[in-house]
Amino acid sequence: MFNSINNRISQVHLTSDVKQTIVAMLGVTFGISMYIFMTGFMSGVNDTQADLAFSALAHVRIYNDGPADNSNIAKKVFPNDIINVRNAKVIKYTDGIKNSTAILATLAKQKDITGFTSQVNVNVFFKNAGNKVNGVVSGVDVTNEDKVYGSSKHMIQGNWNELKYRSDGIFVGVELARVLGLKMDDNVNILTSDGVSRNYKVIGVFRTDVFSVDKSKAYIAINAARQLLGVNQDYVTDIQIDMVDYNNTQPLIDNIKSLIPYKVESWQMGNQQLVAGSSLRDTIARAVSLTILLVAGFGIYNIMNMTINQKIREIAILKAMGFSGSDVTKIFLTQAIIIGILGGCVGMVLGYIISRLVNRVKFEIAGMHHLPMTYYPHNYILAFMFGLITTFVAGYLPAHKASKIDPVSILRG
Amino acid sequence: MTDTILKADNIVKYFYEPEKFQVLKGISFEVKKGEFLALIGKSGCGKSTLMYVLSTMDTDYEGSLTIKDTLLTKQSQNQLAAFRNENIGFVFQFHYLLPEFSALENVMIPALKLKRYSKAEIEEKAYKNLEMLGLKDQALKRVTKLSGGQQQRVAIARALINDPAIIMGDEPTGNLDTANTQIVFDIFRELARERNQTIIAVTHDDDFAKNCDRIIEMKDGQIV
Repeated sequence: MFNSINNRISQVHLTSDVKQTIVAMLGVTFGISMYIFMTGFMSGVNDTQADLAFSALAHVRIYNDGPADNSNIAKKVFPNDIINVRNAKVIKYTDGIKNSTAILATLAKQKDITGFTSQVNVNVFFKNAGNKVNGVVSGVDVTNEDKVYGSSKHMIQGNWNELKYRSDGIFVGVELARVLGLKMDDNVNILTSDGVSRNYKVIGVFRTDVFSVDKSKAYIAINAARQLLGVNQDYVTDIQIDMVDYNNTQPLIDNIKSLIPYKVESWQMGNQQLVAGSSLRDTIARAVSLTILLVAGFGIYNIMNMTINQKIREIAILKAMGFSGSDVTKIFLTQAIIIGILGGCVGMVLGYIISRLVNRVKFEIAGMHHLPMTYYPHNYILAFMFGLITTFVAGYLPAHKASKIDPVSILRG
Repeated sequence: MTDTILKADNIVKYFYEPEKFQVLKGISFEVKKGEFLALIGKSGCGKSTLMYVLSTMDTDYEGSLTIKDTLLTKQSQNQLAAFRNENIGFVFQFHYLLPEFSALENVMIPALKLKRYSKAEIEEKAYKNLEMLGLKDQALKRVTKLSGGQQQRVAIARALINDPAIIMGDEPTGNLDTANTQIVFDIFRELARERNQTIIAVTHDDDFAKNCDRIIEMKDGQIV
């Protein structure tokens, strides 16, 4: 196969005008390296976005969503009559999740969950002397909270695990600390909406790089939060779940929805804007890189066309000597494919180098240091495949044209 | 019967550009094996057109063409290509070699395509052909480095490589000086006489034609 005369002719054509071969190859190289760079960059951006988002957001959240609107109950009995209830109220009979132990036991049996944690979140006023700031104090299960959110990474002062042993301790967000003028070991007063007031000692400061969180959030131990509200040991307000694949939350939700009498919500449902942003970026990346590949394809098409016009007499001679149309197609298609493979390999290397370089560009916003980048092998393989397909199509059209050349009209001159 | 190698029967061909025009007006003739035949006539009389029809490259004609007892009319392009590869050798006015290859490779290509022999055998045979034409020491040179007469002899060596039934020449000496013309003519003469090879050559050269076995003269698309 590799020794056939067709391949020998392809080889001679490729090597006799190396410059032209290299130019054609560079087209593919450029297309593929740009494709790799674009997809690597975009998925890097998406991953960073996800990391940022998931430092304050779990993949699935279980909470008490409040009751359905039954304020006009008479309407349900007489649906066709006009019934007006003035100043109707939606009455909430339950608050938070009362039987958390049973729910946690259910979750422990589920697959695809990497961790879950319970929280008691309380809306409060933080007070330090005259300063008053409203925000949320989150009573957390110290070990599991760190597993789900990686909270210990965000500590800039103090030690995350210390919260386990200090029921009077509190971690405050860095902006909150600034506004209230709090330093380590200072006291901060917390006032709940029910009028309960209690003092805590600042034993740590954290920074998540999500400004709204840093400005309004504090952590205490979960039991301290239960004490603050005067509720029992089984009471939680939220259960936060982390999954293996955050893009694939639906199966879990379908699984546990019927088992749990509370609202089960995925991050996608709660944060449509993140989903939209990420898929829009993906679309842009794909559109741009496919355009680049298309342009590269046109480049190859042009060069192949040129080559064939240059060699039109030789093609006629080959045909006169008994080469069939399909031989001629093979000869030129082989050239295109070799250009595609070589260009693709160089393109993958070049794409990797460009990615590495861009990855080193400084970008110091929201806790990042450099532009984000990913190096997923499947992107490289996909780029190579796309490159091959492009060269195949771009090479086939001129090669097919070459096979249709009528030797008589060329040789008679 | 068996010594008739080529039979053309009532061949009619039209050109459609710029307007419909009948080039060949019912041409019939036979060529015997080992015959050295010259096709002559004035410019535009249709002799080249006839030769390209005989060569099987031009399929747009009426009538029938039989070579080596095979009816070639209405066969597909690919079948005809395979037939040409095995049975017809070409020598053109301009050498029409592949410029990126050496003389030896140019000679070998039709045989490599045919695959009747191994590569080593083909190479040996190609050397032999080049030697016969006095080109043995030029074998590995690129054809673009050779002189016009040498190139034409390489083209002849190439035409011979598959031992074709017929060698066709479109003004094979049209571009050569007297000395080289004589060389090419002698080669053809010898091939016809000693190898019993059939040769059909279109030519303007009266001296060349005079020394052939048979002359077919054409005028206005007919044999005179």
